[in-house]
Amino acid sequence: MVLSAITEFAAQEPKIYGLVLGLVAAAILASVINVVAMLLVWLERKVMGDFQARYGPNRVGGRWGVLQLGADAVKLFTKEDIIPRGADKPVFVWAPIVAVATTMLVAGALPFGAVIIDGKEIPLVVANMDISAFYIEAALSIMAISAFMAGWSSNNKYSMLGAFRGIARMIAYEVPMGVCVISVAIMAHSLNVVEIVQAQSIWFAIAQPIGFVIFAIALITDLGRMPFDQTEAEEEIIAGYNTEYSGIRFGLLYFQEYIVMLLGSILLVHLYLGGWNGPVIPVISFISPMIWFFMKLIIVLVALIWVRVSLPRFRIDQVTDLGWKILLPLSMVNLAWAVVVGLYFA
Amino acid sequence: MTTANDVLSALQSAFPGVVEEAKVSPERQLWATIKPDKIVDVCKYLRDNHNFDHYSGAAGVDRIDEGLFEVTELLASHGAHQVVALLKVKTPRDSPSVKSLTGLYWNANWYEREIWEMLGINFEGHPELYPLLLSDGLMGAWPWRKDYKGYPDYNTADRAIEKVNPEGYTDYSFSPTKAEIEAGTVPYERPKYPTFREREEAEIKGESEMILHMGPQHAVVPGPFLLDILVDGERVKKAFLDVGYIHKGIEKIMENRTYVQGIPITDRLCYMAAITNNEAYCGAVERLLGIEAPERAQYIRMILQELSRIQSHLLGTGEFLTLIASAVYSPFLFMIIDREDILSCIESVTGARINHSFVRFGGVRNDLPDGFKDMTLDALKMIRQKTEEYKELFLSDSIYRKRMEGVGVLSPSDARRLGVSGPPLRASDTPYDMRREDPYLLYKDMDFDVITRKEGDSKARVEVRLDEILESCYIIEQCLDQIPDGPIMAEGVPKRIKPNPGEAYYRVEDHRGEMGFFVVSDGSEKPVKVKARGPVYAYFQALPPLLEGVYIADVVAIAGSMDACTSEVDR
Repeated sequence: MVLSAITEFAAQEPKIYGLVLGLVAAAILASVINVVAMLLVWLERKVMGDFQARYGPNRVGGRWGVLQLGADAVKLFTKEDIIPRGADKPVFVWAPIVAVATTMLVAGALPFGAVIIDGKEIPLVVANMDISAFYIEAALSIMAISAFMAGWSSNNKYSMLGAFRGIARMIAYEVPMGVCVISVAIMAHSLNVVEIVQAQSIWFAIAQPIGFVIFAIALITDLGRMPFDQTEAEEEIIAGYNTEYSGIRFGLLYFQEYIVMLLGSILLVHLYLGGWNGPVIPVISFISPMIWFFMKLIIVLVALIWVRVSLPRFRIDQVTDLGWKILLPLSMVNLAWAVVVGLYFA
Repeated sequence: MTTANDVLSALQSAFPGVVEEAKVSPERQLWATIKPDKIVDVCKYLRDNHNFDHYSGAAGVDRIDEGLFEVTELLASHGAHQVVALLKVKTPRDSPSVKSLTGLYWNANWYEREIWEMLGINFEGHPELYPLLLSDGLMGAWPWRKDYKGYPDYNTADRAIEKVNPEGYTDYSFSPTKAEIEAGTVPYERPKYPTFREREEAEIKGESEMILHMGPQHAVVPGPFLLDILVDGERVKKAFLDVGYIHKGIEKIMENRTYVQGIPITDRLCYMAAITNNEAYCGAVERLLGIEAPERAQYIRMILQELSRIQSHLLGTGEFLTLIASAVYSPFLFMIIDREDILSCIESVTGARINHSFVRFGGVRNDLPDGFKDMTLDALKMIRQKTEEYKELFLSDSIYRKRMEGVGVLSPSDARRLGVSGPPLRASDTPYDMRREDPYLLYKDMDFDVITRKEGDSKARVEVRLDEILESCYIIEQCLDQIPDGPIMAEGVPKRIKPNPGEAYYRVEDHRGEMGFFVVSDGSEKPVKVKARGPVYAYFQALPPLLEGVYIADVVAIAGSMDACTSEVDR
């Protein structure tokens, strides 16, 4: 009854139907991403605790401390939202919103695994674009703008230095990262992430080992995680671009980092680790791609946390050196390799 | 080998009539009173002809009965010989002025500034007599003078005068209030000096330069001090250091306490080095009293000092690592965990983990407990193994090496000129260790190496610390093997400590370098003057020249590798 009414409505008003469907999907997507990112914060604290022979959160919400993040979020929501006197107010206010919005742009084009229905693989993606890999790359780069907005508008020396560092680093690393994506696209004969995943009968991490390493390094840089967190090096420039933020705006900036970490890891899994590909698990074949996908994702996430707790931070000039002088030439080599191997296999 | 008597006779023949009084006591210390107008010539002579290239500090004493101020300059040599020259200069109390040694020794700067602001002794020829430890508003009060009465009994907040400046920010000043002027404790008009801020802002040359504050509250600082760097982009052009944010006036407090009451206060100089501070103070008073601790007590002191050195180096290295990495850098936490075992060993003897106030005049407070040897040997075995692991880890970590190699290089000559001591000096290829240079306790019987490195960079400083942990383990094992039975307190130590009138200087190898106590007694129950010559004060002074031209991130890597402790600077 209801279903037929909806189909009828869809036939009569396709535009409104599309809008409503899009809004519903976006709402689902946003809430799922946020919840998963929260879990990710918890996972990081817990795993970090394990690496360092301590407990991590273990009070709020039972002995695993699962509700710790809820408590932290409530705290951030209820704290005073301070806007410094000298700040450029509109930019300052909008920077965290732009940050989160741009990450959501990435989320729109990323597939979150797939399900098998009637032997047919259906990727879970909101916008299945032809050029989604390119689009994701572009959207990821916009994030640097939001960090720069935050840093510049704060009217704070530390923040400004952090913002400068962010831009210098972004330019140095987006180029090799983009070249890596091109290499992947050449091998997969597509810029669509779903098709890139489906093209990986051999993981691209194996087919393009250099590209995988470069992409992983550039991704960590993009995420601003150790050893590339110069934009917010607390020991040098006191949290850098988000020094002046407090309350919910700080919460958004902080949270955005984890959302990007999640999305970036998903991108890495899709581009190089075969996405949701894997042998079909018999009884639960329906969600077997999801299982593979999440296994890979969690391994990537834990690896990122592992890197964070065990490496010191690069100096900013060393970061740009690495980007321009080593990664960029190597990514060109990788591109040549991808062209040759891609043509051979095609 | 040059002895103190050689130096004295050479001095007397080179400057007839200039040395007014002189004595050698104990064997390696030369005490001489020099005519005030000749002090620079004498020091120049000693520096150029007798290798006195280490300016170790200066102490000012207020002899109010005689109407005199005394300034004692402490000179030593970086390894050429073991003589310490303590040259005293007297100056009248009503117009005190002494010739400055800054022309001869670069690092005399801060020591003379401190005496100037605390006692009001002018130093002729000093390039920058600005307030260092005191706040600008307190200048002219001369708090270390014996006739300083202190402020009337109300707190700082009451005295602060609030003023909103044109930019809309609130400034506080501490002008003397009417009550204070009436009480006669402060002068009507304070001398005016350019403030720290005015001095550093005068250095800004171009549009692209700005001053970046690292401190007083900053992740890099181990306590509140202000490190301001003038940056052009990511490059540091000049660094400015302001200390005195937590100045406690420990030296003045100790003048108002009995000798025994001074021991717990020395703990608070630096919480990481309580036992060596105790040792330096008690050693100086023991020299005044003319007593010596029995052998067993000396062994116990050595064991505890070396244990304390291990824990200090572990924490110092670990804290430093969080500066070049992040606060969640794992080796930091591993080092903290290792340190727990050492702290347990210390606790089992002293009953406290940090501030143990354990050393007594002529001995120690407790004997070692049962099972201490096994417990310590187990802990040392673990520490050895872990330290080797850390060394391997840092050697194999390429990011760590990139950050540390060639950063903040101190050449041997610079290190000596800037007056640093301890691990940073030894990392600059200068084997200068009080345990060898000025053997105290029974270190002369111990077999150990003075660790040095050639490079003089941040990495070398950390390596020296890690290697010293291994050496300390070795020393403790020897001590535990050799420790004899016997009493732990010397006989005949009086209940009421009243040393004979006189002066004593005693220096030890603190975890961070040369720690010396200069104690002056007038035969009463309270010291006339206690001067703590700390190693970190010397590092801090050497920090700004070291930071010129580096990257902002290197500021952290250099300042951290010095293993600073603000508490000791702001005594």
